[in-house]
Amino acid sequence: MLWLERRIVAALAGPDDERSGGAISEFVDSSFRAMPAHLRLGVVVESVGLGAYVRLRYLGNPSAEQIRAALAGFERNPIGVVRQYPQLLASLVIFAQYEKAAS
Amino acid sequence: MRTIDTEVLIVGSGAGGSVTAARLAEAGRSVLIAEEGPWYAPDAHVPFSLDEFTARYRHQGACAALGNPGIAFAEGRCVGGSTEINSGLYHRLPDHLAAEWRDTYAIADFDDGTLAKYAAEIEDVITVSTVPGEPPASSQALGRGATALGWRSVEFARVFAYDDKGRGTKQTMSRTMIPRAVAAGTVIQPDCAIVKLEREGHRVTGAVAVITLPDGSKESVRIRADDVFVCGGAIQSPALLQRSGFRRNIGGGLKFHPTVKVAARFTEPYDHDDVPMYRVTEFAPYLTIGGSASRRGQVALAIADAAPEQLETVIERWEDIVVYYAAIRSQGSGRVQAMPGFRAPLVTYHMTDADMSRLARGLVHLGEVLLAAGAVELFPSITEGPIVTDRDGLGSWWDALTRARSKLMTVHLTSTVRMGEAADRTGADSFGRVWQTENLYVNDASLLPDAPGVNPQAAIMAIAARNADAYLSGISTGASVSRA
Repeated sequence: MLWLERRIVAALAGPDDERSGGAISEFVDSSFRAMPAHLRLGVVVESVGLGAYVRLRYLGNPSAEQIRAALAGFERNPIGVVRQYPQLLASLVIFAQYEKAAS
Repeated sequence: MRTIDTEVLIVGSGAGGSVTAARLAEAGRSVLIAEEGPWYAPDAHVPFSLDEFTARYRHQGACAALGNPGIAFAEGRCVGGSTEINSGLYHRLPDHLAAEWRDTYAIADFDDGTLAKYAAEIEDVITVSTVPGEPPASSQALGRGATALGWRSVEFARVFAYDDKGRGTKQTMSRTMIPRAVAAGTVIQPDCAIVKLEREGHRVTGAVAVITLPDGSKESVRIRADDVFVCGGAIQSPALLQRSGFRRNIGGGLKFHPTVKVAARFTEPYDHDDVPMYRVTEFAPYLTIGGSASRRGQVALAIADAAPEQLETVIERWEDIVVYYAAIRSQGSGRVQAMPGFRAPLVTYHMTDADMSRLARGLVHLGEVLLAAGAVELFPSITEGPIVTDRDGLGSWWDALTRARSKLMTVHLTSTVRMGEAADRTGADSFGRVWQTENLYVNDASLLPDAPGVNPQAAIMAIAARNADAYLSGISTGASVSRA
């Protein structure tokens, strides 16, 4: 996973990821690796571009709260692929988070 | 490079490939199935769980048809194919659809009696049944809601076998056709990805494949075969054909059932171990309402679509919540396109305005039936979609289900190598032989001219059996090469 992807997973999963032994991060990472290469390429481009924006906006090291605020902004973006980026990350995290809790 | 020889190579082991293998092997043919995914024991994973997604789903379930809106889809990638991961619903191809397809695409020997004969033979092997006794509460809810509204509903049969205590076991291909094929001598090669088919003129001579060995290393092999059946499903089959140089009417015309979901909260705990088997058929075949997998993970996803800020509180009552869906027959269509340098094909789909309108109508009808069944809170799969608690609120969903905010998915992918004698708009003849070839066949969901409005596995299996018998009998339309 890239920098922004790791930060987003950490911000969304919170302590659940640590409690599950990193299982949530692992699932998101393996989903990215399993994803069709052309889709993964698109996500990588967004992660780099949006990551640069977030670093500039929050001067390098955003808090989890700031990451969540940035995600909320992306979800309201008029560009479809920008809106879909946080939705993809959130879907993977939420599914893993609550499935792990179930098991 | 090691060479493997076989009489018949079958690529893929799902509903089409397994039925084909069993029939050909039982007729004495030497058959090899090359399956890209692993071979698990049928009950190795809890259905619809995270582990199952990781192990048995292609791309771990993270795949989508690009378009506006994008639509998530799922395929199985294991021995047994998508029959291992679906809900097991079984519905014979409706007679009127068979007639429509036959007339539109000039499909030979495609009458009701023939298809019914093959369907009956399949059903004898795979066990098709309804639930003994009372259906689970999540199913009863759909029946109750439909009755209250004066709508038709029905319990769909499934490929399930029940023991004397009423415990059901899904009869996937790995429990039914695969053991039968193996008993007749079929060799299964799991973890075997076909890179491309090899051809000489109008004949296919085999395939180049990569086998993933138990230690994770890769071995390239050449599989030589007299005849080849491609049965990888409506995404992988056209992609393999395109990679191998077959492109005539291959990959276009993708069809599926765009689906929108609603998480319904009731006032007491419901069952979550099974998928509801009731369907509201009042608007079938254009619109079907049914139930989805509702484990904690799926419930959380459904709530997060509409109300991410309420997820933490609502999920505490997740046992009261069940996920339901409305699926439509779509006027739109899509394309599968193999891309140089990429293993997975590009999949695109265009939803028409009429499709979006029909989906919105389906969403509202779904809300109506759930409220009539006693649901007290409805969460639609719309980004920040309005949460509805009464019938008056359902009107807000008409405006909310836009291309930008809808979150759609699908599972029934078909029609990328249509069959029939209308050579200008089909990729294969009436029995699945690919145009411009003498010995290359497709025998899976790709052949279906349209998504049928119900789970297509019954139609796939019946048509696969019919085509396998045609192959064994030497029946063909005799025009596959000359027409090209």
